[in-house]
Amino acid sequence: MLKMQSIRKSYRTDTIETHALRDFSLEVAEGEFVSVTGPSGSGKTTFLNIAGLLETPTGGQYLLDGQDVSNLNDRERSRLRNEKIGFIFQGFNLIPDLNLFDNIDVPLRYRGFNAKERKKRIEKVLEQVGLSARAKHLPAQLSGGQQQRVAIARALAGEPRFLLADEPTGNLDSLMARQVMELLEFINEWGTTIVMVTHDPDLARRAHRNIQVVDGQLSDLQRAHVVAEAANA
Amino acid sequence: MLELRPILSALWRNKIAALLIALQLALTLAIVSNASVIVGERSEKIARPTGMAVEDIITVFFQPVSQNYDMPAAVSADLELLRNIPGVLQATHSNHFPLSGSGSASQYYNKPNQETGGEAANYYQTNPDFIEALGLKLAEGRNFEVSEMQIASINENRDSNVVIITKQFAETLYPGESAVGKYLYGDRSSHPIEIIGVVERHLGAWVSWSRAGNAVFFPELFLAEGNLFMRYLIRTEPGQRDAVLKQIEAKLSERDPQRVIEVETLEEEKNQSYARDNTMIKVLAAVMALLTFIIALGIVGLTSFWINQRRKQIGVRRALGATRAAIGRYFLLENCMIAGTGIALGMAAAQIANGVMVESFKQPALPMSVMLTCALILLGVSLAAALVPALRAANTSPAMATRNV
Amino acid sequence: MFGYYFSLAMRSLRSTPVMSALMIAAIAVGVGASMTTLTLNYMMSQNALQHKDQVLYAVQLDSWGAENAANNDSQMPWELSYRDATALLRSDIPVRQVAMHRWGGTVSQENSELRPFTADIRVTTADFFALFDIPFIHGGTWNKEADTNPQRQVVLSKATNEKLFNGENSVGRTINLSGEPYTVMGVIEHWNPSPKVHDLNNGAFNDSADIYLPFGLHRQLQIYSWGNTNGWKSEDIESYEDFLNSHYVWIQYWVELENSQQKKDYENFLTAYIQSQKAEGRYPRPLKFGLTQPSEWLVVNEVLSDDNRVLGWLSLAFLLVCVINAVALLLAKFLRKAPEAGVRRALGASRGAIFSQHLMESGCIGLIGGIAGILLTVAGLSGIRLLQMGRFDNIASMDWVMVLAAIGLAIVASLLAGLYPAWRISRTNPSIYLKTQ
Repeated sequence: MLKMQSIRKSYRTDTIETHALRDFSLEVAEGEFVSVTGPSGSGKTTFLNIAGLLETPTGGQYLLDGQDVSNLNDRERSRLRNEKIGFIFQGFNLIPDLNLFDNIDVPLRYRGFNAKERKKRIEKVLEQVGLSARAKHLPAQLSGGQQQRVAIARALAGEPRFLLADEPTGNLDSLMARQVMELLEFINEWGTTIVMVTHDPDLARRAHRNIQVVDGQLSDLQRAHVVAEAANA
Repeated sequence: MLELRPILSALWRNKIAALLIALQLALTLAIVSNASVIVGERSEKIARPTGMAVEDIITVFFQPVSQNYDMPAAVSADLELLRNIPGVLQATHSNHFPLSGSGSASQYYNKPNQETGGEAANYYQTNPDFIEALGLKLAEGRNFEVSEMQIASINENRDSNVVIITKQFAETLYPGESAVGKYLYGDRSSHPIEIIGVVERHLGAWVSWSRAGNAVFFPELFLAEGNLFMRYLIRTEPGQRDAVLKQIEAKLSERDPQRVIEVETLEEEKNQSYARDNTMIKVLAAVMALLTFIIALGIVGLTSFWINQRRKQIGVRRALGATRAAIGRYFLLENCMIAGTGIALGMAAAQIANGVMVESFKQPALPMSVMLTCALILLGVSLAAALVPALRAANTSPAMATRNV
Repeated sequence: MFGYYFSLAMRSLRSTPVMSALMIAAIAVGVGASMTTLTLNYMMSQNALQHKDQVLYAVQLDSWGAENAANNDSQMPWELSYRDATALLRSDIPVRQVAMHRWGGTVSQENSELRPFTADIRVTTADFFALFDIPFIHGGTWNKEADTNPQRQVVLSKATNEKLFNGENSVGRTINLSGEPYTVMGVIEHWNPSPKVHDLNNGAFNDSADIYLPFGLHRQLQIYSWGNTNGWKSEDIESYEDFLNSHYVWIQYWVELENSQQKKDYENFLTAYIQSQKAEGRYPRPLKFGLTQPSEWLVVNEVLSDDNRVLGWLSLAFLLVCVINAVALLLAKFLRKAPEAGVRRALGASRGAIFSQHLMESGCIGLIGGIAGILLTVAGLSGIRLLQMGRFDNIASMDWVMVLAAIGLAIVASLLAGLYPAWRISRTNPSIYLKTQ
């Protein structure tokens, strides 16, 4: 599903160059649920942004669903992001001016579906996350857990094959966090590949596989694991 | 000052927004200073004294239906009738209305038989009552006598022997000495015309003429044969003009209905003549006011946004012990630097624009004092506009520092 | 997507009403001010004779005194003397030619309710109507004979015919002009070009004449012009004949020349005429004449005054300030909404989509600002009409070209204003807005 080979990413300012990712290689199989952990500033988020096509790597190769995305232009990358990738954020990132229905509508608009198709899909995902009755509410009228469920519904509406979650439970209390986690596991069981960045070791353990990023690279142990897997394949 | 460096680096990070404000101020200064110098010039022009009691004077123009008409008799009868209307001080006839934009001018000389070196003046053909009827002031010499009156037509070149002239024209013909008792001559003419009196001032026919204020008056009744018409000027007691005006057409038609009569006020004529200058003043004033208003709103809007963006930073500063005054001062200083840049740019732009205005559009030059005044006013407006959001920023609670936005 | 962007734009405008109002006001005021002056300048620059611009020429002869050229940019008097005009009329080179001037007289009707009134009269040769392309409703012009021999005939304007004859066919009936009877030969269609390019020295924006009178009546009626009469010296005038033979200029003169050969012939004719006059001791200045097309005639007569040009440029500069103002405000507004743009990017919006969405928002500001600007322009123009005390009633009004121009100007202005902010927001890195701090 996802294959990164020797990805590098560095940021330049006027005076200094910082390396966020160095020689980063990772493979995620179709249907996997991978958690990513690591200390602050280790490069987790950079990895997620590159995986989600929000940023381009400085070097290395990235294959998404078998397709090399390194040389795609912005329009093609946006198209891929829209069709194949769903995002879930720690801060939910719902658009505050839009009600739930219109929030979920956003990616479907860019997808170019007609009004009937959009309505059908929005109603379906709202039902899946149990918020059908609140379609006309604004995000601010919802609790944090409900907001995150809307964000998940929005990510799922386009039926992506690949879900990226950045600390999805970071702003939630433990009860809500568990509900959200259960929802993600449910989604994964239906075939969606999930990569989740988290601080929480308990959550990380619930994934199929946990990888650790330290100082812009997979930690040594993990790399050995990857190499071994590659050798087996 | 200690705070300059952080302000400069903050400005550098917001350079586009700062530049946009500076640019607005620069253009505004260029426009406003050039507009105000034009407004100043036109206002002075309109404010020039006319020498006449403009507000109290009514103008009458009439044309008899038939060309077979005894004009001198009609004029005597009409003037007699007009003088007897209650509220009327005096009435006279004239070949033209002053300040109306319609008039005649000719060259006059202080020596006989000249072709060059004369001075142009409006000439009026009127009767001894004109000084009183126009509310002029006789500065020197005497008025016409009834015995000096002549009938003049276009065809009969019967030059008058006496003339009254304006002080301004007297000083052009005989600088530094009294003109009374001296003579003036027409173009290529040897006929001496004695200057018997000098009136203080009379602005003449054309307000935009370079020689406006040069005027001469002859004791003549002008008759255009084949195309008879007549003009009267009637002065009323102050405040009586409109009441008198209402009766005039009816009374004149009652005496002689076979004619076309047009009654207006001299004030109307004057306003018509100044309409273009007046338009210029009003339009430019509106532009200046709107422009200042718009940029003031723009500065308020942008500074508010800018400060909002930095609320947290301000909170941190407050938490670290910055006083309200220090925060307010910070933002005012920041605004000052932007406005200062804009105004410096604007002064250069104003001078360039004024160069074009003088060169291509015959507008007045921009004096330094006007430009500096405009610059100061704009700086004041800019600071006042920044004051509102700066004060709000100063009131930011230090607790802002710890809040998640 | 157009509809989607539009609804997003309207939603966004509603969500920040004060700021939206400020931007719309800035655009509206800028458009209002510049369209007011541009409309005036546009109307003042109209050339009613555009369709005959290649064949009509205003004629000037430099008959002025040796010392000083005539005091205008062309350095020639605008008008001709009667003596020169009648000499030129004898040429058979031009297809048509008109000698004319303004005059006035009383019109009365016996046994009628109508009060006598002063009519604005144009004394002209018969070619006037054909040369300036003025159609007749009834009848036609007087015969050529009346241009040289006195015949008491008139052509009425449509309005005058309505006033005197209730708009009936009045050909053959008589009117009383300054107490004398004249026969109506024809009634023309409504014709009131503004500026009246055929007669620019009697108030370029005044109305055209009420009554047209043949050129052959001067001696019989002792007609003096109601327009300008200018001279460069005093002459002894003992009789009307002296006046007609004097150097005083008061006749406007136009010719119609079909092709360049005809024009060349006419130039030779004028050269020969001036030389013949020089031989008689007239025309002391170097030989010079002017044949000026209508479009150029409007320019040399400075119909569009320096004041108008100043106002035009000034109001464009005003609009520029308003646009910069809108750029600053839009930039502020868009950057505040950068997180939303970041989310949209994550959900699959390309940079182009973000750019279009924001440009649509500025376009909407332009559209609303433009419509408000038109209202302000209408108000501004009525203000100008008031300030000009009736003199600009014919020109201070918007035609549909100017209405479209106003909307266009507003949209272009606000798209320009929105271009940089929209570009800037579409270029920002979305990831920084997605991470919770």
